[in-house]
Amino acid sequence: MKTKQNETQLFRVNSHSKRKSDLKWHIIFIVVVILMLYPIVFAVSTSFKTLQEVYSNSFGVIPQNPTTAAYAGVLAKIPFLRITFNTFFVATLVTLFKLFTGILAAYSFVFFDYKGKKVVYFILICTIFIPFTVTMIPNFITVSQIGLKDNLLGVALPQMADATGIFLLRQHMRGIPRSLVEVAELENTPHLTRLRTIVIPMVKPAIFSIGIIFFVNSWNEYVWPLLILKSEKNYTLSLALQMFVSSEGGVDVPMAMATSVLTILLPLILYIFCQKFIIETFSQSGIKG
Amino acid sequence: MRKQKAGISAADEINRRFLKKSVRDVMTAWGYILPALLVFAVFMFWPLIYTVAMSFFKGNTANPTKAFVGFANYMTVLKDPNTLELLKNTGFYILILIVINFLFPYVMAFINHFVMQRGKKLYKVIIFMPSLISLVVGAMLIQWLFNPIIGPVSKLVVLFGGTMPTWSKTPGLVIFVISLVACYKAFGYNFLVLLSGVSNVSGELIEAARLEKTSNFKIFTKIVMPLTSSTAIYVLIMSIVQGVQFVFTPIKILTQGGPNGASSNILYGTYQEAFLYFNSGSASVLSVLTMLIFIVLLILEFKYVEKGVYYEN
Amino acid sequence: MENSIRFENVDKTYGKTPVIKSLNLNVQKGERIILLGPSGCGKSTILRMISGLETISGGNLYLNDILANEIDPGDRSIAMVFQNYALFPHMTVEDNIAYGLNINKVPKAEVASRVLEVLKILNLTGFEKRLPRELSGGQRQRVALARALVKRADFLLLDEPLSNLDAQLRGQARKELVNIHEMYHQTFVYVTHDQVEAMTIGNRIALVNGGCLQMLDTPNNVYRHPANIFVAKFIGSPSTNILHIRYENGRVYLADGQSFPLSDAWVRQIEKSEAKELVMGIRPEDVTVGRPDVTAEASVSFKVSYVEDYGNRIGYYFKLGEEEVISIMPESIFGLGDDAKWFINYAKLHFFDAATERSIGDPEEY
Repeated sequence: MKTKQNETQLFRVNSHSKRKSDLKWHIIFIVVVILMLYPIVFAVSTSFKTLQEVYSNSFGVIPQNPTTAAYAGVLAKIPFLRITFNTFFVATLVTLFKLFTGILAAYSFVFFDYKGKKVVYFILICTIFIPFTVTMIPNFITVSQIGLKDNLLGVALPQMADATGIFLLRQHMRGIPRSLVEVAELENTPHLTRLRTIVIPMVKPAIFSIGIIFFVNSWNEYVWPLLILKSEKNYTLSLALQMFVSSEGGVDVPMAMATSVLTILLPLILYIFCQKFIIETFSQSGIKG
Repeated sequence: MRKQKAGISAADEINRRFLKKSVRDVMTAWGYILPALLVFAVFMFWPLIYTVAMSFFKGNTANPTKAFVGFANYMTVLKDPNTLELLKNTGFYILILIVINFLFPYVMAFINHFVMQRGKKLYKVIIFMPSLISLVVGAMLIQWLFNPIIGPVSKLVVLFGGTMPTWSKTPGLVIFVISLVACYKAFGYNFLVLLSGVSNVSGELIEAARLEKTSNFKIFTKIVMPLTSSTAIYVLIMSIVQGVQFVFTPIKILTQGGPNGASSNILYGTYQEAFLYFNSGSASVLSVLTMLIFIVLLILEFKYVEKGVYYEN
Repeated sequence: MENSIRFENVDKTYGKTPVIKSLNLNVQKGERIILLGPSGCGKSTILRMISGLETISGGNLYLNDILANEIDPGDRSIAMVFQNYALFPHMTVEDNIAYGLNINKVPKAEVASRVLEVLKILNLTGFEKRLPRELSGGQRQRVALARALVKRADFLLLDEPLSNLDAQLRGQARKELVNIHEMYHQTFVYVTHDQVEAMTIGNRIALVNGGCLQMLDTPNNVYRHPANIFVAKFIGSPSTNILHIRYENGRVYLADGQSFPLSDAWVRQIEKSEAKELVMGIRPEDVTVGRPDVTAEASVSFKVSYVEDYGNRIGYYFKLGEEEVISIMPESIFGLGDDAKWFINYAKLHFFDAATERSIGDPEEY
């Protein structure tokens, strides 16, 4: 009886101290979380403030006189719908194309054996690390020469040469037991049918989250729109945002923040709904294989 | 009980498929990587070659007339004191990114997985969120958060009795503030990857060490670090890549490399040469320099990280 | 012979590593043949060459007397059951079973009736709409078998189909497999490393080791007349005792110097074999031991060095010089350190040529 009591006491002390030591780590993490979230909160809150309040009460999270004036201002100043559509169009095009080439290439790398496969894969993966400025000038020249300057297609094309999709999809396809594909091979199933009936359904969550990340990356792309686009009607959101920036800090803070909020809205909504898949897919991207 | 098309009927079957299966498979395999290869050929491999070639020509980005000048461009760029400044700044950016976006998340991943007990799952979900936010937005947010007059950060500094300098005009500080944009963007991803690397370390190993009363610091340095080295090196290299690439947008938006080139890095320098001075020769030389830096990184990456491939199988 | 599998000097190499060396193997129509061997011996490779999933590096493979080296897997009339069952996790039981039929555009009504038939045979009715993850291990194995049966192929290839089941289910599944074979009479090629499965399921067993066919015979002959030392040691548990002996003037001299006389039949057999050095094999259950005071012409004395109680049987270990011998007896007669005698039963002895490791053959009478 006595020993049992001792044990429970010991256990309690133990769990208590664990909770206590946990607390200090939680504080650190909560600080990081605040650092991560505060800029977003700041943007949302400022976008509903009046210009006056920005100066008098930049700290306050909840606006004293909430107003949607900044949003109205944005819609009046720039063709927002058009610009959003442009961004959406480019991002969709880039995403679908990268998924298309990525799925095919990854299938080839995983389910076939042929000479040169390793070398080709190695070269493709190396390109992930090459900074965009290295290929920027020739790509700019190519896009100009095929007459796609100030054209959304010209913005999309250079973004398509990206091997991260091939890399991530290959990793996920490698997780498919070979025997599943062999079952199909025993039926002489054509490769496209194997892809459609077996491989794609099995890596669907990965395709989905990789697709979202492709979409968001292209949605956020700045350099190519900057180099290629000239007229405002062709602008993407990144360029529209830039109109509200000046190195001195401009004056239209609420409008700048309203545009920011509108820009990050879709990516954040996508993330909130699909975070489970996205986290899972990208957790594995560091584990090479 | 027989199949309608009972058994194998040799001649037809062999004739129907006029090529050996192995040959057909190789053709299909190449067919499947062809779309990717075509895009890469036009927008990656050709540009790489073209950039190297351009570095030996005097030319104009907007108007592709060129004259062969040998290594003259290299001499010009290497003699230019600005180049040294660019490289120095680039190194400075990388250093900040390594500390904030590699060391911090590494330790945090360890704490999150092995030290904390409860309620630890939600953190990675929130911490990853800013990775979805564009660098342009990040740059704007930093601009206002650090605004010397109305920015909350400045107010905080004032609250503690300091004065907030105009960061965009202060060499050194400007690099730090711009780095924060890249940190904000990439911290979550790095944390996530490191966390998954750390969580692959067997919990039993850590338990065993705990029974020996090993301190958390020792557990991290003596057990977790050696066992997660390949993930760690991957993230280290990614932080370097981010330190070079992710700061481009905020530099372009916030300072255009100023004050006086104090915030420019090698990528922004390339961009300036190419699209502000239209000097494709110097821009290409800087690109080639960038490429060399990254080739070194790639060699490191494949030496230390890709080895894991063979261990895993 | 129609409907058979014939390997003619078949080689298989991966890069430069030979996996199968000059394989010659004939499988008869409708028989259950077992490919048995330790892991990595090449037995799965043989199966996969039949299926066409693996190419043939040299030699010829005939299916139904047709050269099949270059025939696509789907044109070989084979069905296969994989070790991990290879069920599509995103498809229902029904869709899994019908996969091949649907791919080959078999009319819907026929697919339905054929699926229904195998579902009934394998006791899977009611599970049609389930996903594989909602099934038990035994049910998954039956779905995998159903998918192979529904094809009504000439050849049914099974790659360690029972190795993921627990011991109890395995016994049941063995009977089920044999019953199903009796219904369909497909040619059955079954890969396993489990000798119990091999002995109970096979009409014939092909023992494979190091990429070479070691012996091809009925389970009974494989057990009673092992063709070489590998077969003798691989089949049976505990493993056959292998003793290095010296043969002189009709007597066998053991490692510790003791000797016993051989029967005339064995003497003739040994002298006919021209083997320079001999190895003797005897199964533990054939090592009959008894009290040391019983006299017998052919017997060996020893001291019990270790005793193992298996519950239904007792294992006695003893040493002859450096060589250890195990005897399995039905009941306990000795304790550790007791003196005992091994009474030689000529009919249970096997002799191998030490140089070639091959059996010198058994005499017709002992």
